[in-house]
Amino acid sequence: MASEIALSRPRHVMRAASDTPAWRRPWALVAWAVLALLAFWVATGTTPVAFVHLWKWSPALLRGLLANIEISVLAMALGTLAGLVVGALSLSPLRVLRVVTRWYVQVFRNAPVLVLIYFTTYVFPFELHLVSWTFPFPDWIKVVLGLALPASANVAEIFRGAIQSIPSAQWEAAQSLAFRRSEIFRLIVLPQCLRRMLPPWMNLYASITMSTALASLVGVHDVVDTAQIASNTVARTDFTILVYFTLLGLFFAYCYPIARATRALERRHDRH
Amino acid sequence: MALGGVHLRFGANEVLKGIDLEVRRGEAVSIIGPSGSGKSTILRCITGLLRPQSGSIRVGDTQVEALRSEAELIALRKRVGFVFQQYNLFPHLTVLENLVIAPTRVAGRDRAETLREARVLLDKVRLSHKEAAYPGELSGGQQQRVAIARALAMRPELILFDEVTSALDPETVGEVLTVIRDLVQEGLTCVLVTHEMRFAEEISDQVYFTEAGVIVEHGPARDIFGQPRSERTRAFLHRALGDGPRNAPARPAPVPETLPFERLRFAL
Amino acid sequence: MSDALLAQAVAALRTVGLNYAFVLDMGERSAFLRGLGVTLQLCLLTIPCSLAAGVLIAAALTSGRAWLAKPARAFVEVTRNTPTLVQLYCAFLVLNMLITQHVKLPGGNPLTPFVWVVIVVSLHKGVFHAEALRAGIEAVPRVTLEAARSLGFSQRQLLSRVELPLALRFALPSLVNNLVDLVKMTAVASAIAVGDVTYESIMIWTQRDNVLELLLLILIFFGLLTWLVSLAGRWLEERLRMPGYGQ
Repeated sequence: MASEIALSRPRHVMRAASDTPAWRRPWALVAWAVLALLAFWVATGTTPVAFVHLWKWSPALLRGLLANIEISVLAMALGTLAGLVVGALSLSPLRVLRVVTRWYVQVFRNAPVLVLIYFTTYVFPFELHLVSWTFPFPDWIKVVLGLALPASANVAEIFRGAIQSIPSAQWEAAQSLAFRRSEIFRLIVLPQCLRRMLPPWMNLYASITMSTALASLVGVHDVVDTAQIASNTVARTDFTILVYFTLLGLFFAYCYPIARATRALERRHDRH
Repeated sequence: MALGGVHLRFGANEVLKGIDLEVRRGEAVSIIGPSGSGKSTILRCITGLLRPQSGSIRVGDTQVEALRSEAELIALRKRVGFVFQQYNLFPHLTVLENLVIAPTRVAGRDRAETLREARVLLDKVRLSHKEAAYPGELSGGQQQRVAIARALAMRPELILFDEVTSALDPETVGEVLTVIRDLVQEGLTCVLVTHEMRFAEEISDQVYFTEAGVIVEHGPARDIFGQPRSERTRAFLHRALGDGPRNAPARPAPVPETLPFERLRFAL
Repeated sequence: MSDALLAQAVAALRTVGLNYAFVLDMGERSAFLRGLGVTLQLCLLTIPCSLAAGVLIAAALTSGRAWLAKPARAFVEVTRNTPTLVQLYCAFLVLNMLITQHVKLPGGNPLTPFVWVVIVVSLHKGVFHAEALRAGIEAVPRVTLEAARSLGFSQRQLLSRVELPLALRFALPSLVNNLVDLVKMTAVASAIAVGDVTYESIMIWTQRDNVLELLLLILIFFGLLTWLVSLAGRWLEERLRMPGYGQ
C-alpha cells in the first residue's frame, strides 16, 4: 500500500537479506573477527592457555557433536516414519483408531522429553536376548527411541494439520472430476501436504537436535558429556567458561542455519 | 479545503506531480481516474497520514503541511473523517463500541450523550438492529455503513471516502451508495475517490479526473461526464463506462496512446 | 489419606506388577511430595516471568531503534538455537561461579539453583513468547491502524486500544502452546540438582529401582499440569474471542 512507507515509524520496513553482501552480514563479521584473533594468536604465539586446551579437546568435542547429530538424525527418521503412520491412522474412518491415535499423540506431546528419555533408558533392558544371541542395547539407541516417541507424535500432528489445511474445495473439485479417494490423496492432497509440512518438520528437527543434549544426563558420551569431562580434567576456571560457551556455539552453528533455511522456505510458500 | 501544487514522492517514484484541488463547504467532490493515478494518496495527504515534499494543503484555517506535533495532527483528524476500503472497523469491539470509542477517548465527550448520538447514527444507516454485533458478523456493505457512521460520530467538517465500495459485491454496493447519497443531500462536505462513475456523476458538484499524478481536467459533473475537454478524459470514460450516447467521442476514436500510468504499477 | 488406605492401594498395584512401596516409607513419600511442590512452584513462577520477558523482548524487537532491536534479535536467535540444558549449565556453572567468586555478599550467593532455573527457563520461553507476540503485532491489518489514526487516536491510544488487544488475540494460541512447553521444560531443573519431582524421583529410584512406577506418576502429574494450562488457555481464548473474525 502506498501509505505504508510514510507512516511515522519504519517498524515494518524490512531490509531484504540480499541488500547487504554476504561478507558483511552480522554473523560473517563475527566470524571474521574470530578468525582475525586466531590468526593473531597463532602468529605471535600468545594464545591464552585456555584456548590451547580448547584446541586439544576440540576433536573430542566434535566427535561428541557427531554423536548428537547421529542421535538426532536417527530419532527424526524413526519418528517421521512412525508419525506418518499414526497421522494417517488418525484420519481413519474407524472411530477406535482415531481415539487411540489421539491418545498416543496427547501422551507423547505432553510428556517432558527428559522423562521419556529416562523411560526408554531405564525401563528397557540393557541387553536384548533374541533366540540364542545377546545384543548389547547401547544407551544412545535408547535415547534415539526416547526422542523418536515425541517426534512421532509431533509429526502426526503436523501431518494431520497439513491435511486439514487443504481447502475442502480441492477435495470437492477432485471428486467432481471422478477421482477415487486414494487417488485424490496420492495425486492432489499429498504433494501439497508435503510442501506445507516441511517448515514445521524442520522446526521439529531443530528442537529434537537440541533435546539430544539431554542424552548426557543418562550417560551417553555426547558433546555435553565431553565438555563436562574436559572441564573436570583441565580444572581451570577460564577453561570451564570457555568450553561451555563453546558448547553454545557448536549447537548454534548447527541449528541456526537450519532455522534460517526453514524461514526462507516459509517465506517462499507464503507467496502461494 | 484546498490543495495547491502538492508534490509527493515515494523513494524514486513520483506519485503526485502538482495537484490543485478545491472543495467548498457543502460541496461533494469526486476524484476519478485509473488505478495508480494517485487518488488515494491525495486523500491521505489531506488528513496528514502522508506528508508531501512540497505544496500547500489547507483545511479550514489549518495548513496541514505545517503541522508537526502529534497533538496538532490529532486536532486536525477530529475535523476530518476518513472511510477506508476495507478493515475499517475494530474487530474486537461491538458495532456500538466502535462508534463510541473515538468520541469518548479522543474527543473526550460525555459517554451517555455519545451513546445516544451513536444510536441515532446507526438508525440513519439502517443498522440499529446490529448494535451489539461484532464486525466479523456483518457483511461488507454493513461494515462500510458502520464505518461511515463511525466517521460521522466525530462530527467532522469534512469526510473523505477512499474507494469505499471497491471491495464489495455488487448487491451491497447499492446500500452504501444510498447512505452516501442521503448524506450529500443533507449538505455533507465530502471528497469521494470512486470507480462508480454513474454515482459520481449523480451526486457530485465537482469532478476531478486524475491520471499519472496530475489533474488532467476538472469541473462540474455535467461538463466532465457530458463534454470532456481532454482526450484522455474521454478515453478513460469510454473505457470505464462503455459506449454510451453521452460519452461517444465527437470524432472517430483515435489510436490509443500508451498511457504512462501503466508503468507506475505500485499498488494502492 | 490414612496409611491403611495407602497400604491397600500399594498392595493392589503390586498384583499388577507395579512396586509402589516407596509410598509407604514416610521419608521417601514426603520427599516425593516436596518434589511435586517444587515443580508446581517452578511452573507458577516461570509462567508470569516468561510472559513478562516475552513482552519486554517483543517491545525491544519492534521498537524500531537499532540499538535495542539488534541485540534483542541476537539474543533471540542464540536462545532459540541452543539447548535449554546447555543454557542452564552456562548460567549456573559459569555465571553463578563467577558471581560467587567475585561478588562477596554477606550470607553468600543469594542465587540458588532454583532461581537460576526460573531465570533461564523464563528467558528461554520469553523468547518464544516474543516471537509469537511479534507475529501477532504484524498480523494486525495496517488499514485498521490507519483507520484508528485517522480517527485521531494518539500513538499510545492506538497501541493500547487497538494494536495490543488485536495482537494478543492473534498470538494467544501460540502463547498457550509455549506455556505448555514451559511446564514440560521445568523437568530440566533436575540436571542441576533442584529438588523438583524428577530429581526426587531419581533419588528414590536409585535406591529402590522402581523407575517405571515413578515415571508413570511423573507422567500423570505433568499431564495434569499441561492439561490445566491448556484449559486456562482455552478459557481465555473463549473470553477474548472476536465473533465472526476471519471469514
